[in-house]
Amino acid sequence: MRVLQLLLVIALFPLCAAAKDYNASLFGILSDGVTNNTRSIQKAIDFIHEKGGGRLVFYVGRYITGAVQLRSNVTIKLEEGAVLVGAASVYEYRSSGTIRAIISADGQQHIGISGKGVIEGNGRAVTASAAALQKNGYLHQKDLAKPALMGFTNCSDIKIDSVNLWNGCGKAQVFDRCTDVVVERVNISSKQEPGAGGIRLSGSGNVRIRDSFIDVPERPRIEGRNNNQSVQVDRTIDPSGKLLSVSE
Amino acid sequence: MQGKKFFLGTLSTLMVLTALAKDYSVERFGAKKDGISLNSAVIQGAIDYIHENGGGRLVFEEGKYLTGTIFLKSNVTLHLEKGAVLLGSVNPFDYEKNKYIGWTSMIFAIKQDNIGITGQGMIDGRGARTANNMVANIQKGLVSDPLKYDRPNETNRPQNIYFRECTNVRITGITLKNPASWNQTYDQCKNLYVDSITVDSKNYWNNDGIDVVDCDSVIIKNSYFDAADDVICFKSHDPAKICQNVIVDNCTGRSSANGLKFGTVSRGGFRNFKVTNLKIVDTYRSAITFAAVDGGLVENIEVDGVRSINTGNVIYLRIGDRWSNGKQPYMKNIRISNVYAEVPATKPDAGYSYEGPIEDLPRNISPASIVGLPQYKIQGVTLKNIEIVYPGGGNPHYAKRGLSEKELESIPEMPAAYPEFSQFKELPAWGFYVRHATGIRFDNIVLRAKESDYRPAIVFDDVQKASFNKIRVEEPGAKGKKQLFLHHTTRTK
Repeated sequence: MRVLQLLLVIALFPLCAAAKDYNASLFGILSDGVTNNTRSIQKAIDFIHEKGGGRLVFYVGRYITGAVQLRSNVTIKLEEGAVLVGAASVYEYRSSGTIRAIISADGQQHIGISGKGVIEGNGRAVTASAAALQKNGYLHQKDLAKPALMGFTNCSDIKIDSVNLWNGCGKAQVFDRCTDVVVERVNISSKQEPGAGGIRLSGSGNVRIRDSFIDVPERPRIEGRNNNQSVQVDRTIDPSGKLLSVSE
Repeated sequence: MQGKKFFLGTLSTLMVLTALAKDYSVERFGAKKDGISLNSAVIQGAIDYIHENGGGRLVFEEGKYLTGTIFLKSNVTLHLEKGAVLLGSVNPFDYEKNKYIGWTSMIFAIKQDNIGITGQGMIDGRGARTANNMVANIQKGLVSDPLKYDRPNETNRPQNIYFRECTNVRITGITLKNPASWNQTYDQCKNLYVDSITVDSKNYWNNDGIDVVDCDSVIIKNSYFDAADDVICFKSHDPAKICQNVIVDNCTGRSSANGLKFGTVSRGGFRNFKVTNLKIVDTYRSAITFAAVDGGLVENIEVDGVRSINTGNVIYLRIGDRWSNGKQPYMKNIRISNVYAEVPATKPDAGYSYEGPIEDLPRNISPASIVGLPQYKIQGVTLKNIEIVYPGGGNPHYAKRGLSEKELESIPEMPAAYPEFSQFKELPAWGFYVRHATGIRFDNIVLRAKESDYRPAIVFDDVQKASFNKIRVEEPGAKGKKQLFLHHTTRTK
């Protein structure tokens, strides 16, 4: 009987491993608000993905990063007090996937961003960086697009919950041709930059958005009435308390 | 020198191009010189912009610019002004191991033309910290690496510079400091011009001075190298390629390995070299090592003017048969002249960081050596105007290799061994040992031993067409001692 139990434990072990938590510090990611962690965070995501998946956990602190790409079976967990801060230069977003964003993913499954922490877009600095390059005549076409806080292309089984999405200069969330998306208890607050937006859906299906809040200079909205299927928005409001639904 | 004229022509063309090139301040692209903000993405953005807009110099003013891997592109020169430091990130993940090359570097250039790094500034890899952080990552299981000799593989550790298949490359004025692996590698490049650089490269294992691999048309001059590993190192990684048409002039080196080295990887070979005014000091192994151990050739090499002070060995020429893969190695037409050398009794690199390993004991002071293999003889070596001061003092009770047939034959051939002057352990001469060679000419050679030694100054074994003119040997209390011992050797006039 003991042997059987032991075998059962051994057999189940890989499943447990799949949900493993990895602290950011394991990868040398620094919470000092100064060090650019882009490559370390990318390494962490790749490593967790290759180990079968799990959560990359950030505890309290400010973590500077340029664009990183999420991979299948990886969730970024931002504990309360953890702030993922977008690096200032527009060049930092050339490492994005199809959609320019701090966190992007192309063709990945079962991914997520979770927790009570903050993704701070640092939109004012990013916009200033683009303006300075433009003034010097150096701004390249490909750096014109303002990075989103997160942007997913051809992904499925995405869960974004509880996070605070602050101060983007582009959209807060973009889902392009994604399926099985859940966004819940997400607070979007990007009031600094005039062009900052909320959520955009395109070509996506089975999207659930609930218990969220959108406060952006543009009319707070969830874009994507036309080309998406089965989008359901519940109890999601703008600063005036008005319930939001999918708009054009 | 037809080659020299060609070089000068290329050089003046490049200078004109440089003069016309537009300057861009890296700060105007958003780079921060606080030594804390990582600039990799910004510097890359700036390089790409200049590359796409007609070329020019990306200028770094005084300050510390933290960076990881960047890729230099055609018609772009990184110009580091005095006080400007490209400061290597100490986070190993900030560096890329390039898939095409199979190495890691701070500054890469692959298949680019008209590129350079110039100015009075510095590249400081801070490699020891990066390497040790890498060790921690390996020990934590984040990165896999065999950790041979308890260090990360040298291809995984960042060099400062790795340029591959580039033409018209200029490296001038700069200081290169503390890489995590080799230092600067130019691999299959054409028209490489290195002038007035300073290298301080001794903060981690395998820190070389400069590595030139399978390049054509190379000038290295007026430069100073202080390196833990080989100083000026020519390699040939590709059996179908060769390192050729090379001038090295007015360079000084210090090493815990070799000074001027051909090899160890020597698959294609080395041809048409002129090395002048070379100074090697405090160097653990040989001032000059030419190794053809992987099937490659060494041919038409002239070395004229060498001072080798406090250096463990002066000349080591070696044919081996290590990774030859069926190719037949050869070494011929070598001329080394006007050499003054002092070999110490003590460890020449004592006190430097990453001292050379103590090995091949017991042995008395090793002689300069020219050692081929029975089937691959070293052909046509002229040594002219050579003076070497040795400590002498070889003690047969510590280590002994006598002159009997049996003892001489007991010296192993070691075809597959790593080639170093000390590899045979005790050798039967204190000044020069030559074996398996033909056409060896000694002209005006002075060998001085400070103390008496049980061995003769010179031993030749299996040498054809040996010739000796004006050989002077000085050894205390050795009046009447036979200093030239020839075994299975034939002489010509």
